[in-house]
Amino acid sequence: MGQCLQLSAAVCRIGVYSCFRAFCCKGPPSPRTEYDVVCVGLTGSGKSSLLTQLCSESTDSIIPTTGFSIKAVPFQNAILNVKELGGADNIRKYWSRYYQGSQGVVFVLDSASSEDDLETARNELHSALQHPQLCTLPILILANHQDKPAARSLQEIKKYFELEPLARGQRWILQPCSVENMDAVKEGFNQFIHLLEEIDQEHIPGRI
Amino acid sequence: MIGLIWHYLYSSFLRSWVKWILRKITGKCELQRICANTVQGAVQTMKIEYSLESSRIEVLKASVTVREENVENRVRDIMEIKKVSVQKDPKFKLSLQICLLQISGFKKLFVDVENLRKQPFDSSNKEHEDMLIKLWNVLMPHVHLESRITKQWGDIGFQGDDPKTDFRGMGMLGLYNLVYFGEHYTETARQTLSHSNHPKIGYSYAIVGINLTEMAYSMLKSGLLKPHFYNLVSGVPQLHHFHQFYCYLMHEFDQFWFKVGPSSIMEFNHYREQFHERIKEMLQDPNTVFTLNFNK
Repeated sequence: MGQCLQLSAAVCRIGVYSCFRAFCCKGPPSPRTEYDVVCVGLTGSGKSSLLTQLCSESTDSIIPTTGFSIKAVPFQNAILNVKELGGADNIRKYWSRYYQGSQGVVFVLDSASSEDDLETARNELHSALQHPQLCTLPILILANHQDKPAARSLQEIKKYFELEPLARGQRWILQPCSVENMDAVKEGFNQFIHLLEEIDQEHIPGRI
Repeated sequence: MIGLIWHYLYSSFLRSWVKWILRKITGKCELQRICANTVQGAVQTMKIEYSLESSRIEVLKASVTVREENVENRVRDIMEIKKVSVQKDPKFKLSLQICLLQISGFKKLFVDVENLRKQPFDSSNKEHEDMLIKLWNVLMPHVHLESRITKQWGDIGFQGDDPKTDFRGMGMLGLYNLVYFGEHYTETARQTLSHSNHPKIGYSYAIVGINLTEMAYSMLKSGLLKPHFYNLVSGVPQLHHFHQFYCYLMHEFDQFWFKVGPSSIMEFNHYREQFHERIKEMLQDPNTVFTLNFNK
């Protein structure tokens, strides 16, 4: 019964809103631009948790991602259709098959992982940055798990991953974050969306 | 939409009138009518559950969470409130007792399952570590585990050198499920493991296992599994009934995976959802009960 009341209330709200817009001669609200991005990173880096939290869903029972999953993540100015790829060893070999059609890359890393894992993450990031289908795309690097004591700082990560020399000529953002601090995550994504919008503008013919 | 409005009007106003009229005609309250017109099983139990939850009498409403040791007294209370005569309706008492045990037992089972799920795998806990080693030994009896942190874990489908991180989300529930399958249906578990090592369309045994734990857990949480448990156990369902349902999922999914013939592990999520929909569809039939048709 509670659900029925809620549903009726929602229908009434939509009805009143539509009438209001019709009377005030406003058209339907302009739809947000959609961008297709691919999200990669090692297993346990926090890809599923961050994306799920951005969709305002509970991260309580998130299990390792096998294969890939697609999520439409809403932001104020855009919707990102994120193709999240699992990060296990046996899945990473398939990553490049899913790069086609991407307009941007999100790379998530565990700032507090072991030396070995950090090295593997660096290798994967470099491979992605150099891949022909991704090398011209903007990239958002989320240095996740900043809440852990063993987390490396932003400077350390920038240096270790050789971002300055390697990603020269490519537009990139390095954002420290954790699931406890979603504001930082959203800030990173907002900057990333600006980059995507800029690139979109550049592709419009007739513009200098 | 109209259906929802009608349902709201009926459940708020008309239902009590209809019940009053039927009581006058038949001389029996709704609970008695349900027990008389249905046989013991999910159909009966779910109708009793709905009737109790919709009741305006607090004692009846609260009966769905009554503790096992208080069920007998509660049945007696209900019979007193509803003026049910033991002589005129001798079977009612037992029927209602079984239903209450099932209804409150199902809710308690979820609490127990949730408590296991919330327990993270803890390397400093000897019991947890022992269970992990037990899992290896039951699945790979002839292969020595070289070290606690080793790439060998990949041979039973864990993602890295340390299975600990793979239990995120499902906690110890995932490990308990895997060990139960391995210990109680050893031959089938080992066969499933060898299928999962298929060179082209293999999958990660343990990770898929954890996925199926999540599937079973979500169906238990949403109540979708009620028909299965109410038909299977005419009393309080136990944790091992949940583990057995998990074993059913492991075996069925393995067969399903090779039947649909995916191109690679990358299609896992798509086929997992298809499999999930199938199970949910079967559960729409209140007479459904899943049985294990394989050897130990």
